[in-house]
Amino acid sequence: MLAISDQFQNYWRKRLRPRLKPLPYLLILPTVYFVYLFTILPTFKVLRDSQIYFHPNLPQRVIMTDLKLPGIDPAQRSMRGPHDVGWAYFRAMADPDSLVGNEFWQVMRNTALYVVVTVPTSMLLAFLFATLVNRKLRGIGWARIAFFYPTMLPMVSAATIWNFFFTPDYGLWNSALRLFGYSGAENWIINPDLGLWALVIVAVWKNAGYYMIFYLAGLQTLPEDVYEAAALDGANWFVQLFRITLPLLKRTTLFVSVIAIIGAFQTIDHALVLTYELVTGEADLLLYAIYEQRFMQQNYGLANAMTVVMVTILLGLTLLNFILTERDHD
Amino acid sequence: MRMRLLLVVVLLMAAFGTTLTSAQEPVVVEIYFPIAVDSPITAILDEYSAAYEAENAGVDIVFSFEGGYTDVKNKLLTTMEGGGDLPALAIMLATDIYDLRNAEAIVPLDVYASEEYLADFFPTWLSNSYYDYDLDGTPELYGIPFQRSTVLLYTNLTLLEENGLTMPTNWEELATVAQALTTTDRWGILLPNSWPYWVFQPFAIGAGQNIVTESDTDVFFNTPEVVAGLQYWMDLFQTYQATPAGVQSNWGDAPGLFADGKAAMIIHSTGSLPSILGKAVFEVGVSGIPGKDGGYHTVTGGGNLYMVAGTDEATAEAAWKFVEWLTSPAQAVDWSIRTGYITTRISGLELDTWTAYIAENPQAADAAATIDVAGREFSVQSLAAVRDILHAHVFDVLNGVATPEDAMAAAQTEADEALSMFKTE
Repeated sequence: MLAISDQFQNYWRKRLRPRLKPLPYLLILPTVYFVYLFTILPTFKVLRDSQIYFHPNLPQRVIMTDLKLPGIDPAQRSMRGPHDVGWAYFRAMADPDSLVGNEFWQVMRNTALYVVVTVPTSMLLAFLFATLVNRKLRGIGWARIAFFYPTMLPMVSAATIWNFFFTPDYGLWNSALRLFGYSGAENWIINPDLGLWALVIVAVWKNAGYYMIFYLAGLQTLPEDVYEAAALDGANWFVQLFRITLPLLKRTTLFVSVIAIIGAFQTIDHALVLTYELVTGEADLLLYAIYEQRFMQQNYGLANAMTVVMVTILLGLTLLNFILTERDHD
Repeated sequence: MRMRLLLVVVLLMAAFGTTLTSAQEPVVVEIYFPIAVDSPITAILDEYSAAYEAENAGVDIVFSFEGGYTDVKNKLLTTMEGGGDLPALAIMLATDIYDLRNAEAIVPLDVYASEEYLADFFPTWLSNSYYDYDLDGTPELYGIPFQRSTVLLYTNLTLLEENGLTMPTNWEELATVAQALTTTDRWGILLPNSWPYWVFQPFAIGAGQNIVTESDTDVFFNTPEVVAGLQYWMDLFQTYQATPAGVQSNWGDAPGLFADGKAAMIIHSTGSLPSILGKAVFEVGVSGIPGKDGGYHTVTGGGNLYMVAGTDEATAEAAWKFVEWLTSPAQAVDWSIRTGYITTRISGLELDTWTAYIAENPQAADAAATIDVAGREFSVQSLAAVRDILHAHVFDVLNGVATPEDAMAAAQTEADEALSMFKTE
């Protein structure tokens, strides 16, 4: 007994105590606390709240209702809530034939299309801008400013400017399109066929300059001797681009694509300025739909359930980024 | 060194603490205020609070500017949910009354408002002020009319005269006048309809049926009159080519286009009157919207004063006294002259300041005259959902994918379904 205790004391004094230094843990404690308070706690709260029906814009009246949710039996309930409904919102969202599911899948299709179009387009433009402004030409500084300028604007200002550009008849956008023979619809904003494209155009215009900065930084770190050697071997511009520049910029491309995709999910400002009047849903993106349900329709449960979906998607993307970049290190 | 710093901090805190407690604490009345028109609102309100505080010692009026109407409502509701400090008063849309009361964000004002006080308000401004929340048969008063507007027809009278035309008095004349004034670089009439219900209501009323009554659970979307109103919108561009086709997202541009002569007539809010009169170099006519068979029609709009739930008694008393002052005939007229909103008080129209003002600006009197023909603005339970239903179907019609009859029939069915839960008593 005594021997064990002695042995442990010995072990503690020699091995464990020196390792368990309290200071580092104390120092990260505030950070851990704030991460818990502002990230972990809200995540779990939103998961819990996604199972609660709550409509504060409805009166506190008891009626016979199934809350219009699948799997809920009709009963005498307050139409306002709160009621615990388990996974009913997720069941409704999973069923594309239900009213909620129909809206949700339209939002998901819109969001997917928006991401699939804005991300590659703005990255391609960013790369082209970067290769252009990376040249040593006179006045290239002005070109850099011109390409980067949209990035410095807040999204709300950018959307307001574009609201003016999109004006039917005399608006800049329609005037420019007419020069190229366009004769289609001129109202780009409150139009079921064009509303989402208006958001795409604004997002590409706004983001390309930002991603250009990363490509420019990447381009400027590339070793010049490689290009000199390639030129001596007779490699033309295209070969240099596809065999040297792009492979060397792989990490930049990976990084930019991840922040571009995450950014595409997180943008809402242009929709609030441009397409909020288009209530038929053709231009609704996921984050906008969450805002609309939470603040306009006051459907808290559905807004929280959609937030869970959004957090899951973003978490998945972050993990993917982590895995891909880690693998790249090896 | 460290001790000395500590001492300084302690002394400072003590000094700050005593100044806070020793002074006679004024009653603070905070008011959430939306900025919705192009006038120097903050400067005017600073003047008002200074004037009121000078007359009433011990009251501190604090205006808190939160953005637009939506921002004020969202800020109030989220502050309430988060348990933050709430204002005593807020100016929010008259049509938000059901949402706000249901959310337990506002309290009834019947205990404060005397009958003679209310009798001096134009009754139409009070059409979205009452709500029978407890279903006892007697509606309670929630909203006090403050910054109120109507939908107007603005007409370029100079252009009319040059073309030998007279002011249109019914739909037929409105369409033919608009058609006659349409040229390659000018529209006869502009109807901003990307947020359509408000601009549409005068046309429904003008055909003989508002889309709402006094009820908070009934809408009238598919009556022949309402369908006729929507058909008339279609006729304006399909038959007469007097307005651009389809949905027009030009609410912000229309007043400027009108003032620049790019449109002979526009349908817009009274709130645009000061900016239009300031810019236009021609004679501007202001009226309600001609009805199908004559008469002029419009609808109310704008914001009411609400008292926020949870305000303590002393603050509520002080807040109500300020509401009475702010809505007094003299203040209501001053506010109207300086912002373009229409005065809310009947006796205000007899004040010298008002008569002197309309002698200089006859259009302001014409705008105020539309109060007499203004219908109740669209507001029902679950307003956001029901309004979205109406807008979606109106867009279908304007985009040419549905006829007015079919679209309005579908809108009625969907709206009835959305409102059915309020009728299962």
